[in-house]
Amino acid sequence: MPATPSAIPGGKTASGERTAPGVRIGGLTVVYRTPAGELPAVSGVDLDLPPGTITGVVGESGSGKSTLALSLLNAVQPPGRISAGSVEIDGLGDVVALRGEDLRRARGRHVGYVFQAAQNSLNPLKTVGRQLLDLGRSHGVGDLRALVREAGDLLGRMGLDGARVLDSYQHELSGGMRQRVGIMFALVLNAHLVVLDEPTTALDMITQATILRIIREVHEERGLTTLVITHDLGVVAEVADRLAVMYGGRLVEQGPTRQVLGDPRHPYTRGLIQAIPRLVGDIGEARALPGRPPTLATIPARGCVFRERCPLRMDVCESEHPPAVAHGARLVSCHAVEAVTAGARKEQA
Amino acid sequence: MITGQGITKTFRQRGGVLGGREVRALRGVDVAIARGGAVSFIGESGCGKTTLGRILAGLESHDSGEITIDGVSMASLRPRARRPYFRRIQLIHQDPYSALNPTRTVHQALTAPLALRARQTGRPKGWIDERAAELLGLVGLDPGYALPRYPHQLSGGMRQRVVIARALTVDPEVLVADEAVSMIDVSLRLGILALLRDLRERLGVSVLFITHDVATARYIGGDGELYVIYRGQVVERGPVETIISAPVHPYTQALLSAIPVLHGLEVPGGQAVTPVGALEEDKHDAGCLFARRCPFATGRCTAEVPVLGRTGDIPQEHACLHPERRGVVAMPAGRA
Repeated sequence: MPATPSAIPGGKTASGERTAPGVRIGGLTVVYRTPAGELPAVSGVDLDLPPGTITGVVGESGSGKSTLALSLLNAVQPPGRISAGSVEIDGLGDVVALRGEDLRRARGRHVGYVFQAAQNSLNPLKTVGRQLLDLGRSHGVGDLRALVREAGDLLGRMGLDGARVLDSYQHELSGGMRQRVGIMFALVLNAHLVVLDEPTTALDMITQATILRIIREVHEERGLTTLVITHDLGVVAEVADRLAVMYGGRLVEQGPTRQVLGDPRHPYTRGLIQAIPRLVGDIGEARALPGRPPTLATIPARGCVFRERCPLRMDVCESEHPPAVAHGARLVSCHAVEAVTAGARKEQA
Repeated sequence: MITGQGITKTFRQRGGVLGGREVRALRGVDVAIARGGAVSFIGESGCGKTTLGRILAGLESHDSGEITIDGVSMASLRPRARRPYFRRIQLIHQDPYSALNPTRTVHQALTAPLALRARQTGRPKGWIDERAAELLGLVGLDPGYALPRYPHQLSGGMRQRVVIARALTVDPEVLVADEAVSMIDVSLRLGILALLRDLRERLGVSVLFITHDVATARYIGGDGELYVIYRGQVVERGPVETIISAPVHPYTQALLSAIPVLHGLEVPGGQAVTPVGALEEDKHDAGCLFARRCPFATGRCTAEVPVLGRTGDIPQEHACLHPERRGVVAMPAGRA
């Protein structure tokens, strides 16, 4: 690991910390103020990110996945606010309780964030290097030369010519290059918790494969805890150890990636997998999910959020929110799945 | 039937890390889209596939080569006379959010081109509204719901359906779908793809599908032809299933290898090909254009120019001096 402790002499807690932090999200609820009152974009989400793992959160637009990711930085912007729950990060505490300067310092040093469309999140008027110096100054980095060296190393690690990229403006870089610059910015202050929001959207297949490989390698080399937010199951399948499926602000299924993909339990997970056209096998087996994903205004306040599109809908789904039930290493929130499991248990008895 | 022969196009740009100078977007491409057929272009961004689609739709000029539509050479016609020909080819944009005027209802978006159409074909005024409703039904929307609405009141999937309905107002022979589902929610994508497939069957329109996702190309036009394009050149061409199951050009193999494997459901193909470097860094023009990124390149590859054609017992056309079948596509995992 090309660690440069000298690059972060001002860090009180960061200087000593070199290990991947664990994250425990508990009962997280984020609401947005609308003319129709406060509506939840994220409801009662429980999710652990074990130290050193890559977790993928999959969801469609409006599922609340980006809001969930922003909560890790306590960066939900008005009219949104975290109304309940906690986000405990090792070495940092509950970020929901952090305010002002403490919060600003935590972002970047503890939590690195690669924004959705990182391609467009750079300042078009400044070279990458100038933006790096801005970042260093705002975080009180004493040795800016070391910071530039570290950035160059990171870019080199990702297959780019560091010096040249630092000298470039955004428009001089391709989409795949900008994405790597985004990852560099997330890591250069030595954060060990990294959140990537849609890291490969708008990239083509070969560039996507390269970025995913880089995410995996950098994750291992630097000892990170990584959260990847995406709408693309393929991205998660390729990169994540654990997978959480989000729908209408709720986590409907989570567990080890291979288990969830190989044997999906929740009807939404099943539907999503079936809706992916595949390269081999009978292409006619691909099925579209009926209906469409809910928006903030149409997420049902009571009962299961997926019932409108669910082939297994039961009466209880109208009124009761299905609790997350453990199935081995997996958590599934579905009344129908529980009814089937209960039936199978009865038969065995 | 639309054909293009020896199409070339060079863009001139200025400055930057990516080089600047000239970009040869197309270097002599032959293409043919049969009536009711399906043709898919695949390749990385910047390979020229979108430019080729735009040229075939009459939205972009080309430097040399000839385009014919139903046997008529476009070069022989004056620009005004070309219009009715190119109207038969309609482009469906990637972004349904910007393709529709936000200040116009769906009704307005559809009836404006239909009114023109009614004048041209001498139909009564009543036909316009009738046809608008009919077209919405055809793309799977409820006319009563959709007609009075503005684009922002519709979901992305619905908007893309409206865009398709609008393209159908001029009774096109070819729909050019350029990354038509990449901005649509995952659970709704397949619905749009199924619609395009359905329109082929029901209306006999051909579909030119431009994408970097080979699996969606297979879904739309599994019975059609696949063109693999690299740096403005077709490097492999043939039936979709043939190329997916036994690609021989290392670039095709690299594209197919890059498709994520659904671990747990699939196992990797085993002979995955990773290209060296990136497209934007590849500037060499001597020999095979892919030679500098090809892990199998030999000295011959940088000296000799491969020509698209058939060799040996390989059923598809390819432009590789050392064609070899490789198993790069993920296979279904054996389920217990």
